[in-house]
Amino acid sequence: MSGSPRLLLATRSLVGVSLATRDRLLDVVARYREPESLAVTLSKAVGAGVDGVLASPLPVLLAAVAELKQTVPIYALLPALTEHERNDFEPGVEGLIERARGSAGLLARLRAGWSGLARPAALYRGDLARRLPLLIELEVARLSPRALKGVVLDACLTDLVLAAGKRAFFDSYCRFVRRRFGAAAGLETHNLGLLLARLREWDLRPDLVVGPLNPCGLMMKPSVAEVLDELKRTDVPVVAKELRAGGVVSLVRGAEFARSHGAYGLAPDLAEVEDVGTELRALGKG
Amino acid sequence: MTVPGLPAQHEIVDPTGPPAPRRPVRVAVAGLGRAGIAHAAAVSSIPGCELVGVVDARAAARRDVRGLGYDAPSFGSVAKLVARTQPDALFVSAGWQERGPIARAALEAGVAVCVDPPIAPTLAEAAAVVRLAAERNTPLASCHALACHPVFARARAILASGALGEIRQVRSSTYLSRVFSPESQQRAAPAESAGGALVHSALDLLFVLLWLLGPPVQVRATSRRFYGPFEDEIHTMMALPGGAEVGLDCSWSVPGYPRQSSVIEAEGANGKMLISDDALEVALASGHGPLPSGPLRLGHSELPQAARFDLGGETLYLADASFLAWVAGGPPPAGRGDAALEALRVMDVVYESARDGGKPIAFVAP
Repeated sequence: MSGSPRLLLATRSLVGVSLATRDRLLDVVARYREPESLAVTLSKAVGAGVDGVLASPLPVLLAAVAELKQTVPIYALLPALTEHERNDFEPGVEGLIERARGSAGLLARLRAGWSGLARPAALYRGDLARRLPLLIELEVARLSPRALKGVVLDACLTDLVLAAGKRAFFDSYCRFVRRRFGAAAGLETHNLGLLLARLREWDLRPDLVVGPLNPCGLMMKPSVAEVLDELKRTDVPVVAKELRAGGVVSLVRGAEFARSHGAYGLAPDLAEVEDVGTELRALGKG
Repeated sequence: MTVPGLPAQHEIVDPTGPPAPRRPVRVAVAGLGRAGIAHAAAVSSIPGCELVGVVDARAAARRDVRGLGYDAPSFGSVAKLVARTQPDALFVSAGWQERGPIARAALEAGVAVCVDPPIAPTLAEAAAVVRLAAERNTPLASCHALACHPVFARARAILASGALGEIRQVRSSTYLSRVFSPESQQRAAPAESAGGALVHSALDLLFVLLWLLGPPVQVRATSRRFYGPFEDEIHTMMALPGGAEVGLDCSWSVPGYPRQSSVIEAEGANGKMLISDDALEVALASGHGPLPSGPLRLGHSELPQAARFDLGGETLYLADASFLAWVAGGPPPAGRGDAALEALRVMDVVYESARDGGKPIAFVAP
């Protein structure tokens, strides 16, 4: 399972995407307001043996990475949206491309332009499967090629396409990410049981699927029993998130639950850990 | 799961299955913005439901939904959609001015309708739509998703059981960090809107308050505008028939709320209850049925997670599935048309009082 991570540190709570309580989210945001604080934590995580950081290439992450001399392996969660942008997000791909183009550098725009030659807007405008590569080119360009270990499609897009049942999209997305970047192709979902079932039916195997797994069954859709059943049957590496079910159970218990039910890897969020170095090191050994 | 010293959770929280239609339902969606596409996704994942068509006057919106993989036939008008696909039910997520006409056209064709709140931009138009649905004996609802949130739904059951005793006071709030400039107000509240923060971000909470407590007899409100023609903050006090006061504070211009947060605190003769997106906390002076005396906290994760699909939370699935279950012969959902209209009537009085500088106004339910 090369390219499939065993342990990631997720930073989604920095942009408000987490099941953690509101108080906890505010704590996390306040703690990492300065890029230096996040840089120290990322450095500790790498030192503790994580395979990478699951994060969107947003300014808060980029500023922290820039503080460090060492390379922080990134599994880039795309599209990169702040919580405000997520609130206003219109699901069509063209708006996302325009937004990403507006903030991309010259080189990224040139690469996207090159990539766009094979997928011209005149023919394929609005076609997510055809046009997503442009969006990925523009957003990945914010990261150093050495740092990029994987691309993970945000659940807000994965689940929309999953509901539509579009095999071709998932197939072309995985092929593009592997071919273009030599990186792991991943999917984040909040409907883990359904996605694993569909991938099995479609005979598709992304390098990782990131989804909620916890002893409370929180966000385990369509039902806890169906998720656990699919975990037994799948050969897709599943990386478990929301291990603490919003803070109800301990990280250790959540990790034990996920691993005992077949999770290949774990992706605890900043909001789920107190002492990053110690807790991640313990999970790495577990 | 058992809380030490308390009865097993299942004695307090009886698990409920997901709402589901009893027979196959043909469903269409009108308005293909963010909310409409979310309905299309939810419908596609509800067992027994088929997305048979989508409608939007904008060709680009129809193209984008096809681009996401939704292959259902798309149309530029509701008349064509109804004629070609004969849906049993239609979700309406179109712009404000279009909602009333679309809902009317569908109801006249005998199609059940669920409209994103508010049903129409004016109270008179919304009332006309509700009247038409009653005349045609066709289901009409408004998608008040907060009423389907597991914590808020459980709170209603506890309140209805009388566990808190006579209600003395209720405070509620909903906050969001969204509008901090004239441009962001314009984005959040287009010119044709009926209002600002209240109608766009607190109508769901207002609906839930009425759903939990019943209609008020008097309303007074004050509002403030910071960034444009519509209110960015509103403070409302409502008096219930028994004399209890219900407060509602709303702002979409407050920092620290990247995710909308709604909270209700209710105080009764036998204790208190705090309802939030995170948890339900009850503290009773004397036990009531399976609820013990003393504090009890039920986290969101400890309550039944009935939805079979999650799209930014499970409330949308539950709201849509409840409506479609009604269409297929099941019980009506929380947001049925007459209940949704009552929330709009109260909102109208809130705005009237706010325009009058906080003057108390009697609310008389028709």
